[in-house]
Parts: sequence; structure tokens; C-alpha cells
Amino acid sequence: MPEYKAPQRDMMFVLNDIINVSELAELPGFEDATPDIVQGVVDEAAKIIENTIAPLNETGDREGCRFDNGMVTAPAGFKEAYQLYTESGWTGLDKSIDFGGQGLPYTLATAVSDMLCAGNDAFSLYPGLTNGACEALMEHGSQELQDTYLEKLTTGEWTGTMCLTEPQAGSDLSQVRTRAIDQNDGTYLIEGTKIFITGGEHDFVDNIIHLVLARLPDAPAGVKGISMFVVPKFMVDSDGNPGARNPVVCASIEEKMGIHGSSTCVMSFENATGYLIGNANEGLRYMFTMMNLARLMVGLQGLGVAERATQGAIEYAKERKQATAINGGETIIHHPDVRRMLMTMKALTEGCRMVAYDTAKHYDISKAHPDESVRKTANDRVELMTPICKAFATDVGCEVASLGVLVLGGAGYIRESGMEQYIRDAKIFCIYEGTNTIQALDLVGRKMKMNLPQTFIKEMINDLATESGNDELGFIVEPMQAALNLLDKTTQWLTAAALEDPQNPAATAVEYLTMYSLVTHGHFWIKAARAALAKQDDDFYKAKLVTARFFANKILPRIYGLAPVIMAGSEPVMTAEEDWL
Amino acid sequence: MTKVLIIAEHDGKHINGSTARAVTCAQGLSAESVEIAVFAAEGTALAGQAATLSGVTKVLLIENPANEHALAAVLAPQIEVLASEYSHVLAPSTTFGKDLTPRIAAHLGVPQISDIMRVESPRIFDRPIYAGNAIVTVEAPAGIVVATVRTASFSEAETTGSATIEKREVNIELPSHTRFVKLETSGGGDRPDLQAATKVVSGGRGVGSKDNFNVIYSLADKLGAAVGASRAAVDAGFIPNDHQVGQTGKIIAPELYMAFGISGAIQHLAGIKDAGTIVAINKDPDAPIFEVADFGLVGDLFEIIPELEKALA
Amino acid sequence: MKILVAVKRVVDFNVRIQVKADGSGIASDGVKMSMNPFDEIAVEEALRLKEAGKAEEVIAITIGPKASQEQLRTALAMGADRAIHVETDEDIQPLTAARILNAIIDKEEPKIVMLGKQAIDDDNNQTAQMLAALANWPQATFASQLEVDGDVANVTREVDAGLETIAVDLPAVISADLRLNEPRYVKLPDIMKAKRKPIDTFTLADLGVEAAASVKVLKTSAPATRQAGIKVETVDELVVALKERGLF
Repeated sequence: MPEYKAPQRDMMFVLNDIINVSELAELPGFEDATPDIVQGVVDEAAKIIENTIAPLNETGDREGCRFDNGMVTAPAGFKEAYQLYTESGWTGLDKSIDFGGQGLPYTLATAVSDMLCAGNDAFSLYPGLTNGACEALMEHGSQELQDTYLEKLTTGEWTGTMCLTEPQAGSDLSQVRTRAIDQNDGTYLIEGTKIFITGGEHDFVDNIIHLVLARLPDAPAGVKGISMFVVPKFMVDSDGNPGARNPVVCASIEEKMGIHGSSTCVMSFENATGYLIGNANEGLRYMFTMMNLARLMVGLQGLGVAERATQGAIEYAKERKQATAINGGETIIHHPDVRRMLMTMKALTEGCRMVAYDTAKHYDISKAHPDESVRKTANDRVELMTPICKAFATDVGCEVASLGVLVLGGAGYIRESGMEQYIRDAKIFCIYEGTNTIQALDLVGRKMKMNLPQTFIKEMINDLATESGNDELGFIVEPMQAALNLLDKTTQWLTAAALEDPQNPAATAVEYLTMYSLVTHGHFWIKAARAALAKQDDDFYKAKLVTARFFANKILPRIYGLAPVIMAGSEPVMTAEEDWL
Repeated sequence: MTKVLIIAEHDGKHINGSTARAVTCAQGLSAESVEIAVFAAEGTALAGQAATLSGVTKVLLIENPANEHALAAVLAPQIEVLASEYSHVLAPSTTFGKDLTPRIAAHLGVPQISDIMRVESPRIFDRPIYAGNAIVTVEAPAGIVVATVRTASFSEAETTGSATIEKREVNIELPSHTRFVKLETSGGGDRPDLQAATKVVSGGRGVGSKDNFNVIYSLADKLGAAVGASRAAVDAGFIPNDHQVGQTGKIIAPELYMAFGISGAIQHLAGIKDAGTIVAINKDPDAPIFEVADFGLVGDLFEIIPELEKALA
Repeated sequence: MKILVAVKRVVDFNVRIQVKADGSGIASDGVKMSMNPFDEIAVEEALRLKEAGKAEEVIAITIGPKASQEQLRTALAMGADRAIHVETDEDIQPLTAARILNAIIDKEEPKIVMLGKQAIDDDNNQTAQMLAALANWPQATFASQLEVDGDVANVTREVDAGLETIAVDLPAVISADLRLNEPRYVKLPDIMKAKRKPIDTFTLADLGVEAAASVKVLKTSAPATRQAGIKVETVDELVVALKERGLF
């Protein structure tokens, strides 16, 4: 099983050469995010992740979680690794200083998550879900709720969960039925069953704080009748410590295809005491404010598994000898088709990194910039890029993991190689936190109505115009000119076709998202190529140019298959009667 | 005028083989004379041994109760007194020599050259850097050359010599700030850690059973080596998996790797490709491991191991 | 008491170094650099002594270009109190390093100077011993265990024959070996705190240090590739061959 090595060179390249992370230190509140801190964060997080968390990836997969009478034990080593990680302050990196965080930019948290997810996707979910709970309380919780829960969640001393899904309410949360009864003393009794709750129960910490979507008895039907509650596993006493046990129990854990190290629980709320967050009937709206970050996190999981699979496949291909290649090379990395697969893995993975980090920077700007219009523009970019970061990066995770097994051949199919685990882990990233279908519908629906995809296409076209003088970038600029034109045309077709029949965008959303993502990647590959041209004596930059060229010639043209598919609309998809299938 | 002084390493009873290797290195310096200095509390026998090393012209014996244990702070000042007569002062690159020679060099105001692998000329040498992943050819500046000799790069000098032995008095005040307390020799308890050991004895499916693995343990103990195993041996239950060497086990780089009854699957070889010397013993002359072994011996490991142990005794 | 710990910026131990084809050295552009692993162990030991109440101050020092300050920041983030940067772009060899450290010892008067036993780039294993010589202090090299008892340090050293324990009067120079300790993981809040800890910068001229004569590197080559092996006929032949190589 190959070890994980944080791709620090590539990460620093994206941070410095692509997104100019140093600009963040000029924003109020982010003065500490200077280059030495950025380097220190990447270096030290890499060490702890490589040495204490990544080695548990395979063992965690083999062992899985154990359920026994309401108690869940995570795989061996997870608890100790979690405690070391949180005691070292990593979970509080971008959280409020008022509650024990370090107040550093989300962009740096993204770089750390890049490594955490690649090191151990299952493990990353424990602090990952806690982030959501923190954000909900930070944005919408009362002072009292914040004072009670936020500090321990920030430091990781307690963990949090998002209890949304029920058997009949997954993608459609308006169907939630869990009940909340007002006790007229500031508390509510919560009753119902939640499923697929990540980290609902485990053995790491003294308290688990569940954020639960539930309905009040007199709530309006549908999406406007859902409220959000805090339901702690242990009631918090006057000293701030866990006290009486609250009747919220783990009824069982799921046997899943992958991410075995993560406990996926059925949670039973048996008249457990809960506290209302914010206002009644606004729960779904509150949940949506956390949605962007949760979705970006899943995108990083996709990037993580892609990075892992790419590292393992390259290492294998450099050692494995089978049949002399046409160019005389003895190892399989010299076989053209193996090289094709590896370059595909490399280009897609590095592209996802650029998009993810750039989106994170826009998020930071949307929160910290003193100028409101700058904040809004940055927020628009985050809104646009969220479905792309989530859906495309997770699709990439699946594609790259699958290629990884193929590169290893028969050995890839064998568990011991470690490669097949990535396929099993990757699939859920396309599903949870809003299936990739939901992401695509969001892009062609809400985001299209906000005019965001169209605006960014214009921006990309403008940026491209400034490059067209540069001959050396012609290899990517020219294909991107054609690509942007086609994307523009397809987008216009789609907005018109939506008015004719809303099934048109619905039936082609996934292909549209893929096409949009590919062109977005091209936009970043131009930046990468430009940066690399300036420093060509270094192998790293030579590799960047070659990868940019591979992207332009071998990946970007996928859009030429997608465009006609999109523009064929929904009719070929929907015409068959239900019974004919 | 090249005159070499070698500082002998010993345990009170025997001049060790590393000193003999330093003598061989010195031969490459085209020296007018190669002399050995023996520092001991009582060193007549030691000096006698040193005098047999072929190529040595003289042995200096410096006896002093303070010299009973090799303490750098005590030996260095004495060597510095002698050094003025020599162009080169060498010691083997053992913990003894590494501890001692830089102190001498600094007091003499000259740089030191560590781990000479090859002598090109009296002032030009090859030495390893980056854990041996690169070799530098270096030239010592003017002045006395103080250096340590990489023992694995030179064979031991023959013991056919008969140098003169000369007792020397070095009357200087010696420091008392460094005092020997005790020495615990290894091999009395735990075996070395597989990942860090310089020698590893490994067994494969050919060993046949858990009980039979005792022959591997036994040889390892005689060599002060760690014990490794192939995946096949671990899968068959002969030995726990923390001994597994290979792509999915431990990747190691000992100076000596001895593989008994291991066929040499690619995954196993991936774990040992950076080993210094690979020795393979297997009944099957076509076993793949012979393709990578520096020394291969076709035969029955149960016969060969006892013979090896006899040779070591 | 004060403890001075010297740390060196080296190519990260995970990097597979490439020898330049023209023999002029190692390809180092864009290569990941880190604190020498043995030096990290030295810093850790110094911090443990401080946490045990045996020392009041741990000072980290490095000699090198501006970028070496990164390693000082790491030492500060681990817990060192302040740092000294002797700034130079020249290649500094052990004797010159020892002279520099000796000048600093005169200024700071530490009771213990800790170094890693060797740097993983040049693998010289000399600086600690040379410093001890110049300062006329005891040296305790290859330490795998350290106990400080008043003005004496009892140091167990990893030697070829096993474990040797010596007692040295302080002040002394100690070099750390691999098994001395396992360095702590740096905590994020401490990375932030390290920013506010002082780093004082000096040049060799400021310290009145003259560079020593250096060993000249004539060329850098890749090591010989693994040669095909031979089959021996008897155990005796094998034993002779292994003895030749110093392995038996």
C-alpha cells in the first residue's frame, strides 16, 4: 500500500502562482496569513496527516466501525489520531478566535482538508461534519447556544452531526417528519428517526452535538415548516460539562460500500431535549447557508481520492515491468495507453485542486473584504463554483480511482494493493451532501436564473482576450477560444429551451455541468501554463506545461461530445412510457 | 612527504578489523610511512597485534591509565601532540573514529574528511553524501589531512607484517570533565529493530514451519541481526506480520540482507532493493531472487545455516 | 540554564535527490527543504529539559540563507523561546560552523549546546565535536539518552558495541542520535505564536568569524549501480566474500 505524500509542491504552486494567496493577508482579520504562516501550516499539517492519519486509511477500511448496543467503536487508532489532531489545533484553523479558533482564512483550511481527505477520507468526516455544526451555530445560534457549545466544537473537544435525512426524506428534505414539541420552558422534545447520520455515534469524545431538522406541530407543510434544533447527546450542566444522558441513541450503523472508517448511523430521537436555533420554520434556510461549505468539503474528498489514486498508480507504473514498450522502456509507464491513463489522472486531479483553492479564496473575500460589492461578487463566484467543485471533482474522483485500478491491472483488483478502496470510497462523494444530479440541477436552475454561469463565461472570454497575443500559449488559448464560444452557445440554447420545457435543462443538467466544469478547468490551465512558462528550467514547471497541453488536446475536447447531447434536449430522454422500461 | 598516522581502535583485548581496513586505505596514499598509534591503559599485546598489520612501519604505544576507555576529549589532545610529524591522521569511520577525529581536526585548525570510500591521490578522495545516493570527489586544502575511513570500502590488511613498536610518553594535562561510566553490549536482549538494523536475516516459505524458524532466529542472534520474513512465510503463519519485508510490509535498506528459502517475488524484492549486499540461499537454482542477489548459494538452508554459524564462532 | 540548539536547513529526507548530469552537484531547485531530522530531535530534547525545569531558555540557531528562517520558525513553533540567524549565502562547512557557534557561545553562555549528530545532506558528523574542541568543552556524541543532574550530564551513547554511558561536566556539547526521542507534532496555535518570537540576525563579520579553509568539491557523481551478483559453491566461499565486505 503506497504511503501518502502530501503534494506540497503542487499545493504551494496553486496557492502562490495561481491564486496569489498572499492577497488574503491584506484583508482585515487575515493579517496573520503571511507567507511564513502559509508555509508553516502546509508543512506541519502535512507531517501530522502523513504520519498519524494516513496510515490508518487502509486499516480503517479493513476494520470498519463496530456497533454494540447503542455504542459505536471506530477502527483502532482513529480515536488517538483524532485527539492528537484536535489537540494540535487543526480543526479550529479557520474558526472564530472568540471560540478558540485561529481565525485563519478558509483557503488555508482548504489546503489542510486537501491533505486530510487524501490521507484518510473516512477520518476526515469526523472533523468535517463538526464544521457544519459550528457554522450553523455561528451564523444562527443565540448567544447562549454559542456560549454553551461553540468553543468545544471549535477545538474538537466535542463533535457535531447534521441530522437531516430520514427514510422518506433524502434529496427532498421537505418530507422530513421528525417532530419537535415546545415544552414552553425554552426546550423542545424531539422525536423521530434520522438515517445516514455521519458520526452520529463514536468513541472519540465526551459529547456529540446533533443538529436536527424537525417540524413543530403547527408548522406549515413543505419546506417552509422545518426548524433546526440542537440536541446534545449529554445535557450540558452549569459548569459546561456533559451531564445527564439525553435520549438520542444510535439504533444501528450501516454496512457500506466504502468509507468504512466513518460511522454511518441510524439515530433515534426518543423525546430528547432540544433547543431551537434561530427562528421557528427557518431551519431549511439555515441549512442552506452551510450548504456551500459542506459541498466544497465533499469536492475536496473527491480531489483527495483522486490524488491518492494518482500517486499510487504513478508509483506502480514506474516499477512494474511487463513487455518492452515501443519506445524501448522497460516499465509500464512507457506504454502509451498506461501513460494516457496516468496523464488523465494527473491533469484532472491538478485541475480540481486549482478550482477548489480558487473558490476557497473567493469565499474568504466574500466574508472579509471591506467593500460590500466586492464581497457580493466574490460570493456569486462561490455560489457558481459550488456545484462544480462538488459534482465535477467527485466525478473526477470516481473516474480517476477507476483508472487507478486499471493501471495496476490484476493487482489493482486485489485488496492488498490498496487501490480498489478508492473506487469504493469515491462513490458516496457523488451522492451525499446533494447528489451530483442535485448539484447539476442547481447549476442549470437557481444559478442560471441568477445569471452566474453566463457572467463567468464572459469573464473567461475577457481573460482569454488578454492572452491571445502570446504565441507560446497558443496551444491552449486557441482551443479555449473555441470551447468558450461553444459553451456560450450551449448556455444560450439551454436558457431558451428551459422556457419551452423545464424538462430540457433537467434532462441535460449533468452533461451541462460537466461541460461547464471542463471549460472552467481550461481557464485555470491557461493560468498554470502562463506561470510555468516563466520558470521553465525546473522540471516541475516543465511538467505543468506538458500537463496543460494534455488537458487542451485530450480532455477539453470532451465538450464536443457533450454539446450536441445537451442540445438534443429532453425529448429523447423522456418520451418512453414508464412501462416500456 | 606523505606520512600517515592511524589511530587504532580496540576493546582492550583486540585491535579491531576496522583498523586493519584503515591500513589498507592508507596504502593508497603512496605514503613514505604508515604508523599506528595505540592508546591504552596497558597495551603491549595490542601493540603487538597492530604491528602485524601488513604495510605498517611503526606502532606507537601510548600507555596511560586515562586511556583505558576511548574518550575523545582525553585522546584528542595526545594525538595532537603527535600529529605534527604526520601529513595524514586517519581513523576508521566507526563511532570511535567519528567521535574522535573532528575534535582533533578542529584543534589543529583544519577541516576533516569523513568516510573516505576511495583514494584518488594523497589529497583527493571520494566520499558518500545523501546517504550514499551521491558521491563527491573532494580535495583537502593545504595542511594536515584528518579523515575517517569508510570500513565497507576497504578490505582488511593482511597480518603478515612486523612493524617496530615504540613506547611514547605524552606528558600533557588531560581533562577530567569526561568520565566513562559503563558499556552495555548488545545481543543480550532484544533484537535490533527491523527497519533500522544494519543486518537482517530473513526466512521464506522454504523454512517450512513456525518451529523451523528457530534456525533463522539463531543465525540472526549470532550476527546481531534483525529477523525478516517474506509474505508467504507470514501468510503461512510461520512468523508474525511485523517481520514482513516487501512492498506491503517493510521497505528496508540494511547493509547485509540474507534471504533463506525466499523465492524472490517482485513484491519482496521491492522491499530490499536498496540493501547493501543481498545474499540468497535457496534449493531452487532458478529462484528469481538469484537475479538480484550479490551472492547466491544453491543448497539446503538447514545444512547451510549451521555451517555459517560455525564460521562465525 | 540556557540551552542552545543548532538546526540546519537540508533537503527533506523523503526527497529522492538527483545528481546533475554535468557533475556540478545535486539538483535542488524547487526541492522541498526541511529541518535536519536529527536536529529536530535535538530541539525536542532541549524542550523536554526545559519542561522538566532543568533549563529556563531554549535558543534555536541556524546558519544559512534567508530561507533558513523557516527552520527557526519551526523550532520556535515547537517551543523554543527565541532564535538566532547567522545569515550567509556561502556554503558553510563544519569547521566554519563550529567557529560561528563558538562565537555565539561566548555571547550567550549556554550550559548545553545540542546538535543533531549529522546533517543528512553532507553526512559529515563533525560540527558538534569541532565546536566542543574550539570551546574546550566536553562532547557527548550520538546521544540516545540524556539525564541532567545539576552540573553533570549523564549521556548514554549509541556506539558500535552497544550503549556507552559517560558523564560530562557542564557546559558541554551533545549531539542527538535517532533514538533519543520522538519529536512532537507542531500545534497550529504555536505556529501563530512563533511569529511573535524574536529572531536576531548576524553575519560572520558581526561575529568576528573568519571562514576556515574548505574542502573543495571537485565533482559529484551518482553511485555505482547494482552489479549482477555471483553464485558461490560453498559456505566457505560465502563467508570469505562477506568478510571481505566487512559484513561478517
